[in-house]
Amino acid sequence: MSEEAGQPLLYIFLKNNMQSPVKIWRNQKNIASLVGKTGKILSWTIVRVPPGDFTDQAPYPVVLVELESGKRVTCQLVDYDDAHLTFGQRVVTIIRRVTHPDPDGVIPYGIKAKPLV
Amino acid sequence: MKIFVNGAATTQFGELWGVSPRSLARGSVSSALKDARIESAQVEALFVGNMLSGMLGGQEHLGAFFAEELGLPVPAFKVEGACASGGLALHNAVNSLLSGQYATVVVLGIEKMTDHKPEDVATALMGAGSEEERNAGATFPGLYAILARMHMNEFGTTEEQLAAVAVKNHYHASLNPNAQFHNLLTVEQVMRSSRVADPLKLLDCSPISDGAAAVVLSTKNIKGSVEVAASVVATDTLGLAQRAHLTQLTATQRAAEKAYRIAGLTAGQVSVAEVHDCFTVAEVLAMEDLGFFPRGKAAAAIEKGETRLGTSAGIVVNPSGGLKGCGHPVGATGVKQVVELVDQLRGSAGKRQVENATIGLAHNVGGSGATAVVHILKK
Repeated sequence: MSEEAGQPLLYIFLKNNMQSPVKIWRNQKNIASLVGKTGKILSWTIVRVPPGDFTDQAPYPVVLVELESGKRVTCQLVDYDDAHLTFGQRVVTIIRRVTHPDPDGVIPYGIKAKPLV
Repeated sequence: MKIFVNGAATTQFGELWGVSPRSLARGSVSSALKDARIESAQVEALFVGNMLSGMLGGQEHLGAFFAEELGLPVPAFKVEGACASGGLALHNAVNSLLSGQYATVVVLGIEKMTDHKPEDVATALMGAGSEEERNAGATFPGLYAILARMHMNEFGTTEEQLAAVAVKNHYHASLNPNAQFHNLLTVEQVMRSSRVADPLKLLDCSPISDGAAAVVLSTKNIKGSVEVAASVVATDTLGLAQRAHLTQLTATQRAAEKAYRIAGLTAGQVSVAEVHDCFTVAEVLAMEDLGFFPRGKAAAAIEKGETRLGTSAGIVVNPSGGLKGCGHPVGATGVKQVVELVDQLRGSAGKRQVENATIGLAHNVGGSGATAVVHILKK
């Protein structure tokens, strides 16, 4: 089975799909356009059994948010208390690190939400 | 032109560490050919439903791979549509017969998942979601949990009612020799199982499984055949956030409406259904999207035993045990559902036989509802 620097195949998949510098560069405008938007929580879960790249973050809430523009996003909720996990909780989108940097040093940033207080 | 299932078979489903994908394919296809009483030389094409061979096994090119393994030197195709890969392979096989290109084809649904650790399988399965959902660290239990919470909020559906789906499907699986699980569950056991993605718990979730299923399809109505009265696919957005509706799977609803129209039937005429209960809430959504119960009414009906063998006065749902009890080797599931319906319509389902089964419906979903496939079979 193909391996790269002792890493399993799945790692290569992750690296190619989440941490490609080209893809991160291309997505900059999309990410920037979603930062600092306010909205409300439509629904949520708490992920306790995470995908491989998120094991050190679990458990964490994933929320479905409707922004004031009407656009909806699915993202993690951070800087929260349990009381914030309610229907209609107001949140604001922020930029945060998504997973670990890869061995080349590329840091994957993305959109998360935090409660608006 | 009418299309018929002439032969159908599944392997054992489960954690089959000692069994290779090659062996699963040989087992299911040779049994299906034997069941159809045809020789492999009569097979004109092979359709393989599979999702994860590339990401988990590093093996793509599955059409040629299994054509070689099965000794079928015929045109061969891998069809991928996440957990609906099996149903999509069937749909493509039906289309190839309707086009007149082939007269007899084999559909193989297959998945080998337990060679890999669960975190890696969860990551690979998220290939079926949107990039936004992957970046959120979402999982498929998580996405269905988001839908479950909305359904609970809108219709008052309870966690105990969701648990009743798993209890019913394990009861059915206990009657199915090929099922992954033969243990009975109680609502309390489901409620006490560890939380995976709130409000869903471990026993709300279908397992990670190995298995294969195969059918022989043709234009010939040989003895023991079952007619494919409709084969319909619908799609919706990959991600939940872009959907118009979040308390239903619209793709299922659209596929079902068209399938009933093509078959000239109504939901009320279906005697037995194999539906996509990847999570307990998914069976509740399916019951409503397929038109078996009004919106918001399915969960209570399931809890009362209205879709269970022995207590149902009408439709029986997931007599095989469903994805929850029989297991969910993702590419195999859509084909296995049809194998179960063939058994039911022939009256050869043994202890789990649904009485007077004449019309069967199979419902296979990819991702969190981005692909839905509905097949209607009749005696």
